[in-house]
Amino acid sequence: MTGPAVPAEGWAAALAGLPGMGPARLRAVLDAWPPEEAWAHVAAGTACSRPGVALACRPDPAGAAAQWRAAARRASVGDTWDAHRRAGVTVSLPGGPGFPDELRVDPEPPAILFSRGDPAALDGRRVAIVGTRRCTRYGREVAYELGRDLASSGVRVVSGLALGVDGAAHRGALASGGAPPVAIVGSGLDVVYPPAHRALWEQVADAGLVLSEAPLGARPEPWRFPVRNRVIAALAEVVIVVESREKGGSRHTVEAAMARDRMVMAVPGSVRSPVSSYTNGLLADGCHPVRDALDVLVALGLSTAPSVRAAEERPAPGPEEAPVLEALGWEAATLDDLCARSGRSPGQVSVGLARLQVGGWVAERAGWWERVT
Amino acid sequence: MIATIPSATLLGVEGTPVAVEVHVSKGLPGFTVVGLPDASCRESRDRVRAALLSSDLPWLLKRVTVNLAPSSVRKGGAGLDLPIAVGLLVASEDLAAEAVAGCGFIGELGLDGSIRRVPGIVPLVAALSTRVVVVPPDCFAEASVVGRHKVRVAGSLSELLAALRGDAPWPDPPVAAPAPPEAASAPDLADVRGQAVGRTAVEVAAAGGHHLLLSGPPGAGKTMLARRLPGLLPPLEGDDALTATRIHSAAAVALPPGGLVVRPPFRAPHHGASAVALIGGGTGYMRPGEISLSHCGVLFMDEMCEFPATVLDALRQPIEEGVVRVCRARATVSFPARFLLVGATNPCPCGESGSAGLCRCALAARQRYNRRLSGPLLDRFDLRVVVSRPDPASVMGGPPGEATAPVAARVAAARELARERGVRCNAELPAARLDALAPLTAGAARVLEHRLRAGLLSARGVHRIRRVARTIADLGGAPGPVDEENVCLALSLRAELAPVELAA
Repeated sequence: MTGPAVPAEGWAAALAGLPGMGPARLRAVLDAWPPEEAWAHVAAGTACSRPGVALACRPDPAGAAAQWRAAARRASVGDTWDAHRRAGVTVSLPGGPGFPDELRVDPEPPAILFSRGDPAALDGRRVAIVGTRRCTRYGREVAYELGRDLASSGVRVVSGLALGVDGAAHRGALASGGAPPVAIVGSGLDVVYPPAHRALWEQVADAGLVLSEAPLGARPEPWRFPVRNRVIAALAEVVIVVESREKGGSRHTVEAAMARDRMVMAVPGSVRSPVSSYTNGLLADGCHPVRDALDVLVALGLSTAPSVRAAEERPAPGPEEAPVLEALGWEAATLDDLCARSGRSPGQVSVGLARLQVGGWVAERAGWWERVT
Repeated sequence: MIATIPSATLLGVEGTPVAVEVHVSKGLPGFTVVGLPDASCRESRDRVRAALLSSDLPWLLKRVTVNLAPSSVRKGGAGLDLPIAVGLLVASEDLAAEAVAGCGFIGELGLDGSIRRVPGIVPLVAALSTRVVVVPPDCFAEASVVGRHKVRVAGSLSELLAALRGDAPWPDPPVAAPAPPEAASAPDLADVRGQAVGRTAVEVAAAGGHHLLLSGPPGAGKTMLARRLPGLLPPLEGDDALTATRIHSAAAVALPPGGLVVRPPFRAPHHGASAVALIGGGTGYMRPGEISLSHCGVLFMDEMCEFPATVLDALRQPIEEGVVRVCRARATVSFPARFLLVGATNPCPCGESGSAGLCRCALAARQRYNRRLSGPLLDRFDLRVVVSRPDPASVMGGPPGEATAPVAARVAAARELARERGVRCNAELPAARLDALAPLTAGAARVLEHRLRAGLLSARGVHRIRRVARTIADLGGAPGPVDEENVCLALSLRAELAPVELAA
């Protein structure tokens, strides 16, 4: 049975674990009663007796209340709290220690935050780097370089630990060994999603901070990600979109950032690349372009010397290879494309590509060749 | 009175000689067939009876026993109708035993006494050691392929009886329809515009016998390229032609007008095909599968990732060994299956991945799709080529590509070089002899070494690359050492199509 040892955070964590309990509903419930009392109402099935809660639970308050009551009867608040303490997860409520001020004054503030890592990771200038999961090599590299260079300039990189751009930005920040990275995830802190990022997840938690609005065990349900994106926008001073489709999830982050008067910057991409359609659209609408970390540092008002580009160390392409490199350009191409563009035979182009690959100028993936910066 | 008539039955693609013994005696009238006949063989009784009566021949009210020797082998099919009827006529002394001496009979009987074709005439005739064989008229060309027998035809039981009794001459065999001009039947490589890499890959595959996997979006021309591959292969000769003919005959696939399969076969099973349809087997009698039907030819598997994984993995052993052994409780049969495998697949379910950012498939869906082709199967493709949609200019107005004839000549020359090395084609070059047969120039060795050091190539991969590079050099008319360009092209033609997707 639950004992008196469970603090308010424990009751709130248990409430957050109820089915369909998003931030708005949890906020309504916790506005109505203190956490422990709220749990009693939920367990009694009277949670929707307050108009505020009923409003948040539209269109079916009675159904939600019944669902919560059933779930509350199965759950043990004491066990939930013990699990969080054992996992080293810090639970913060608005106004309490470890709850960032930016989120407390947010128009849609989280009602509870779960975190792993060092809360001090948030102290400093913060920039969000977001973008599509299905990015190109270009997007991945730019995200990595931005993360690396910003972190080494002391800027905290905030992102979502997703595949593609998010993960690349975090990897870059970790590689620099600079400012600690901050990740905001959509699932419970013990539910690593995507599973491929388990190692990265641990590294970010060790070096910086991983935040979530979901209690331990919460599945990565699709609705949690747009909700998570608003936290990313709220925590950042500048939101950088590296690559995104017109209908990508980055749109939620950008809209949330604009609603909060955060600066939005975008990385220009090829006008032919569908994953740059949204970012190029942002630029057309007047967002500042990001060419490298310096653009971001200037936007943050951080005076810094212009970054010095490392001298080119690769051997210059020979007369055989240069036309092939020129035919490749900056977009992925197949051997067929390169033969057609350069007017050379597959054999000649293959020799050029092989030498360029040895020199580190190009890389191949699944039969597609790309230029490496 | 007893009569023994030679005939044959089919097991897999081989014929087994069968002696049809007919015994007529006094006793309760009846007609029994013994010696492991299957259902269609047992039904012979009713067909033979009706055929005899329709041909104005008497049906004896005596005890008739038909034994199909050897009794331990299962007999299937209706091809034993004719020998049973002839045996019955001899045993009942309607026909002199001398008239059928040295004659084998194969054919199904219609109720009106007509003689009909049965599948597997080529292996059946090959199993007969008699001087003369009698077959249905439309099987004349097939039966003549074997070449050891005097082939006689008869369209009906009464015609046959008249010829055997000497009352009438043997009917003339039907005149074979003239072969259609080859150009009309085979698609030409000149239709493929652009697609330099696809064309090269098809040429190398044909010359070296390297299995080819084409990957690309819908409309890139994968099927078009694959269909032009058989035209590049040299015609079948000697034993290969006879084996292919025997298989086609046993599977009741229509044979060319001349009877002999001389063009390399092209088989393109739909991806709904079951493992048995592909490999061979079955319950009634063992039928050769698609891989055997494409023996000495091309097996084209379009939409390869849509085939069930179990079906695809069943291909691995025959690809290695060139034969497939189908084992059932009743019998074990070996089918020849030395084919050139050409697979075509989309890179992902939507077909657009690769060209950056166009693919709309979920990561999991893409991984699931790529897992259909197991690593060991992918490894057996010496050539894995990404084809992209040709650019509009070359489709609309570009010059036509090189035609089949000159490419086929290069392929034939390259295959001749392989034969001089003692193998059928370069894909069969033993790894131990590669240093002698495919020596590398210094530049070529450097490229391979870099790949090995970078972990982009395995030791076995090097052997495969060297074989392909050997073929490329042969096609270029350079039988000497393999140079850098040959190796680089071989590497380009063997892309890693389903790499493990590394997140971020």
